Amino acid sequence: MSTTVTRPTDSPKRIPWSPLRVGQIVSKAATYLLVSALGVLFLIPLFWLVSSSLKEGNHIFDQPVQWFPAVPQWNNYPDAWNALPFTRFLFNTLFVTLVPLVAEVFVSALVAYGFARFAFPGRNFLFMVMISTMFLPDAVKLIPTFLIWKQFDLINHYDPLVLGSLLGGTPLFIFLMRQFFSSVPKEIEEAAIIDGANVFQTFTRVMLPLIRPALLSVSIIGFQGHWNDFLSPLIYLNSQSKYTLTVGMYFFTGGVNERPHWEWLMAMSTLMVLPILILFIFFQRYFIEGLTSGGVKG
Amino acid sequence: MVGDPIGDYLPTFIRFLLLAVAVVGISIGVHYVLRNVFHVRREVAIGYSLITPWILGFLVFNLTPMLATLVLSFTDYNLQQSPNLVGIKNYDTLINKDVNFWPSIRLTVLYSIISVPISVFFSLMLALLLSKKLRFIGVYRVLYYLPSIVPAVAVVLLWRWIFNPDVGLLNTALSPVFNLIGQTPPDWFGDENWVLPAFIIMSLWTALGNNTVILLGSRKSVATDLYEAASIDGANTFTKFFRITVPMMTPAIFFLVVVEFASAMQLFTPAAFARATPAAGRFMNLLIFSYGFEQSRMGYATALAVILFVLILAATIVLFRSQTRWVYYEGQEK
Repeated sequence: MSTTVTRPTDSPKRIPWSPLRVGQIVSKAATYLLVSALGVLFLIPLFWLVSSSLKEGNHIFDQPVQWFPAVPQWNNYPDAWNALPFTRFLFNTLFVTLVPLVAEVFVSALVAYGFARFAFPGRNFLFMVMISTMFLPDAVKLIPTFLIWKQFDLINHYDPLVLGSLLGGTPLFIFLMRQFFSSVPKEIEEAAIIDGANVFQTFTRVMLPLIRPALLSVSIIGFQGHWNDFLSPLIYLNSQSKYTLTVGMYFFTGGVNERPHWEWLMAMSTLMVLPILILFIFFQRYFIEGLTSGGVKG
Repeated sequence: MVGDPIGDYLPTFIRFLLLAVAVVGISIGVHYVLRNVFHVRREVAIGYSLITPWILGFLVFNLTPMLATLVLSFTDYNLQQSPNLVGIKNYDTLINKDVNFWPSIRLTVLYSIISVPISVFFSLMLALLLSKKLRFIGVYRVLYYLPSIVPAVAVVLLWRWIFNPDVGLLNTALSPVFNLIGQTPPDWFGDENWVLPAFIIMSLWTALGNNTVILLGSRKSVATDLYEAASIDGANTFTKFFRITVPMMTPAIFFLVVVEFASAMQLFTPAAFARATPAAGRFMNLLIFSYGFEQSRMGYATALAVILFVLILAATIVLFRSQTRWVYYEGQEK
């Protein structure tokens, strides 16, 4: 097509307005237009979330949509926060998020290290079993797991949400971190061992720092999972003061004698998004690197 | 602060520490026994002792509950009385008498079969788009990832408004089209025929970001020398796309399809909040929760869980079997 115009020896970039270059610009522009349009499409519902959190309760569903509330109801935030003991809910959520997160990431890393670096009989078989538990529906385990905790009389305690993290680690995390460990050259560990480090020291001082991107991404995924978890706190916690943020928010959807407080629910949701959003914005580059280095291979 | 936070956290935290010590102890014990009793090599002993926490977790939180579910599904356990064996009664009642059963299977299976390919396809397109050298790539990544970080509770509420038949965003936007063809816009969650499309649209918005990020990574890890070699051989853009890009990405696509399918079959939070008309059936996981925890029919609910498990297992096996036909692994002869 354009070869008749462009001399083959010239790189297309040198000729300012060759058809090839125009074509490139048009395709670039189209790409930007498309990704931006999609971006806006993805942003609209979120924007509505924030704007609704600043509206009066009975104006949220007004027609036509008010994108910017005439008088922003900033007091929705303190009102919602004080309608239920949200300060307490926040601490509860932090407790059932951070404690298991630390344990889960550390244990998963240890297990991943074992699978990546030590040849033991049955390693591949056990690894396959581990991967297959990823596809095991939680629903199948839900009721017996509940009964196990009930057996120990730990219902309405935080234990069911916290203790499990010490056992097992998370298959997805183990899988991702194993990929990372496998890509670390063996010489690095050998050097550490020659320097007199034992396995645990090699692991914490040498290997863990090397897989930082993976640690970061699994931490973000894990944080998000615990932070937004709704089913487990709903099942295991009974007293109101022990609730987490998600369960607390649920009460704003209305009850038998109470009208739903959508504006409060929106305000709390907006607040709940913030920590994850900040984490993601700051760490997104590492996050993606951590998810994908070594590739997702079956 | 309300209640007694320290009194609530501390005992759990102490038990957490004790369990941590116990797990470390067992791991070291495994190492000791393997070395001194079975005299295995040091490397083997360390390997087993490192994966001990996982083995413990597998036994306690996977194997035991699974077997227990299977056993409970043949009983009439209701949390109060001790369980009695009732044979296949639960399964019989579910399949032959329970009016909720078939609609629930239909909704769950259709939702998974339709939503997963659509969402993976769009994610792939989006990932390919984003893999071009773009400025502000970080901004787009954040934008697309946003939906997956909003708590499901808020997402569902958002969609309840979007799908609201009278004042919702979607029907407001669609009403000129529907006026044109002389139809009334759909009632979405309120109309049993539109519940499924509504859930699919909703899932698309949520899953797209997550999947795109994973596929984007996979796209980036396709070695550039493959493209260079292809260019030298005279391949055009089209050929490169279908002969290199897509095949090299199939492992990631496969991984996503399997994971997404299993999670679609287990949809819970959106299903719990959407307040869709029950006429369309309820998602299986929601029905399990309702039977087990709201009605305390644990035995009956576990029978449903077993059926859900069998469905997911069957789908996973079919998917894994299909692998040889379309998934390309590096270093493997075709």
